[in-house]
Amino acid sequence: MSSALVVVSVTTLVVALVSALALSLVSCRTMRLRFGEEASAEAQRREETRATISRLAGALGAIPQGVVICDDGGREVFRNPVAKAYVRGRHGEALVEQAIQDQLVALRAGGVPPRTLDLYGPPRRVLVLSGMALGDGPSPPGALVLVDDVSERRRLEAVRRDFVANITHELKTPIGALGLLADTVAAEDDSSVVRRLTERLTEEAFRVSRIIDDLLDLSRIEADGAPRCETVSIRSVVSEAVERVRPLAQTRGIELDVEELPRWHAVQGDQGQLVSAVANLLENACKYSDAGSSVEVRSRVNDGEVEVEVRDHGIGIPGRDLERVFERFYRVDPARSRETGGTGLGLAIVRHVATSHQGEVHVASREGEGSVFTLRLPTGNRAGDFPLVGATSSPTNGDDPT
Amino acid sequence: MAERAVEIRKSFHQSLDEVGQELVRLAGMVTEALGKATQALLDGDLAVADDIIRGDDLLDTLTLQIEEHCYQLLTLQQPMASDLREVVTAIRLTAEIERSGDLVANIMKAARRMYGVAFDPKVRGLIEHLGAQVHRQFRLAIDAYVERDETLAAAIDDMDDTVDELHVHYIQAIFETHEQGSVALQSAVQLALVGRFYERIGDHAVNIGERVQYMVTGWLPEHDAVARQTVRDADGDHLPLRPFGTGEQGSGPN
Repeated sequence: MSSALVVVSVTTLVVALVSALALSLVSCRTMRLRFGEEASAEAQRREETRATISRLAGALGAIPQGVVICDDGGREVFRNPVAKAYVRGRHGEALVEQAIQDQLVALRAGGVPPRTLDLYGPPRRVLVLSGMALGDGPSPPGALVLVDDVSERRRLEAVRRDFVANITHELKTPIGALGLLADTVAAEDDSSVVRRLTERLTEEAFRVSRIIDDLLDLSRIEADGAPRCETVSIRSVVSEAVERVRPLAQTRGIELDVEELPRWHAVQGDQGQLVSAVANLLENACKYSDAGSSVEVRSRVNDGEVEVEVRDHGIGIPGRDLERVFERFYRVDPARSRETGGTGLGLAIVRHVATSHQGEVHVASREGEGSVFTLRLPTGNRAGDFPLVGATSSPTNGDDPT
Repeated sequence: MAERAVEIRKSFHQSLDEVGQELVRLAGMVTEALGKATQALLDGDLAVADDIIRGDDLLDTLTLQIEEHCYQLLTLQQPMASDLREVVTAIRLTAEIERSGDLVANIMKAARRMYGVAFDPKVRGLIEHLGAQVHRQFRLAIDAYVERDETLAAAIDDMDDTVDELHVHYIQAIFETHEQGSVALQSAVQLALVGRFYERIGDHAVNIGERVQYMVTGWLPEHDAVARQTVRDADGDHLPLRPFGTGEQGSGPN
């Protein structure tokens, strides 16, 4: 009995131990399985997070603004490619990186208004640095700085603002003068005063008429798109333009020195528009030259392009205005321009004519030395030669139209 | 031990890189101020003039910081050969750049004194040209430093001939306008000083170029002068009035 009891007891013990071991093994396996599942879920979550971060970084990399993000400890954690370019910038750009760092520190300390950096360059650039603090715990939060290049936006704003101001002035001044002069004439009995005022009335009416004519010309060139396509001799364009401006040159005591091209050099385009463009350049040169000086006109053919160069020795144009002189109603010196009787549209017309003929107009100038305007037009063939005798049709390709 | 040495060198080169970046920032401040100064002078823009004059304090502060940084590197790391040349060059360049900044501030002070004076178009054109040429020269000198480009650094000296020539034309134009009575004597003197300031900034750009050549190659134009003097000494060809030291004093612009 006692031995049987002992055997049972030992068997029970062994069973209990095996059971415990099995249980442990099962538990372990279960735990391992659970752990494996959790680890796999964690890895998946991590992968998803990585993919999200990568997508966000890709998106931030595609935007034109620079983005810099720092964490709670002020450590930089992200910088997109645009902002990376500022890290080793030199000249004005070297100041951008310092501004970014200053802005990050200031934002973490409590926020600052956007800062504008006006860089002289060249090229001139205006950058706006804005940003925000990230997180709102008791510890210093992280921060984000956005660097936005607003140069082009500012330039367009200035063009639009000046255009509105200038056109208002150009139209209001003569129209206001017309009204006042008409009132004065109506109330005046003295015939000599009436005659003098009537002359002024005519002048002001003529001025308004010129502005309207130029505006109509400009809108016609803009609306037409591609100009009439005929073979036009550059020599005839220059001659016609010179004859149109000659009376003004004689009145102002300016010598016109014209070097003509052979007659066969030609371009495809609208003769009337091209004459108008060259005449505007010549008129401009005469108006801003002193009496006794000369205006030179040179034409040459250069690698598939005809160049018409108008050079004066007048007052010249300041460097900062060079880019803007082709804008409508833009005046370098408003007082002087109005004295000369210009409408402020001449160079805008030249630019539009050049563009509509697939050409360009360029200006080089220095104050006190004079200006050189160069009108470049494609000839359609490399030599710039077209037969002109009775030719009115246009070539369809770059070959000589024989 | 070897690992520690590598770590120290790494830290040294990191510090040297920081000095380089600080120097480029200092130069960036001067380049920006120089471009804006010419425009402010021509426009009679007192607000910009005042900004630039006040900004000179910031330039001086950064200059001192860079110098301190360099002295720390010299004393704690005791660099040798090309590393030593880099640190010494940084100290010299800092002084050249800081002095250029002072001259830009001087141009703005002259602009304040001439406020309301209408300049002759020819004088305006020459100021614009001179300012642009000096600005370009200064930028290229800094480009040569950043790129360690000894050829570009050497070209700065040749470019300076254009500045000198423009300066001569500019002074002639001031005389002419003064004779014509279109500018008062006081303003003419201020204008002449402005020209001198631009010309000196051009000289500092040349000095930067020479120092960059030294940094890259270990050679300075003054070394040629020393060699010539050594030959003269060997031949017993002594000058009646000897300058201090063994060689001639700086052949370059000072």
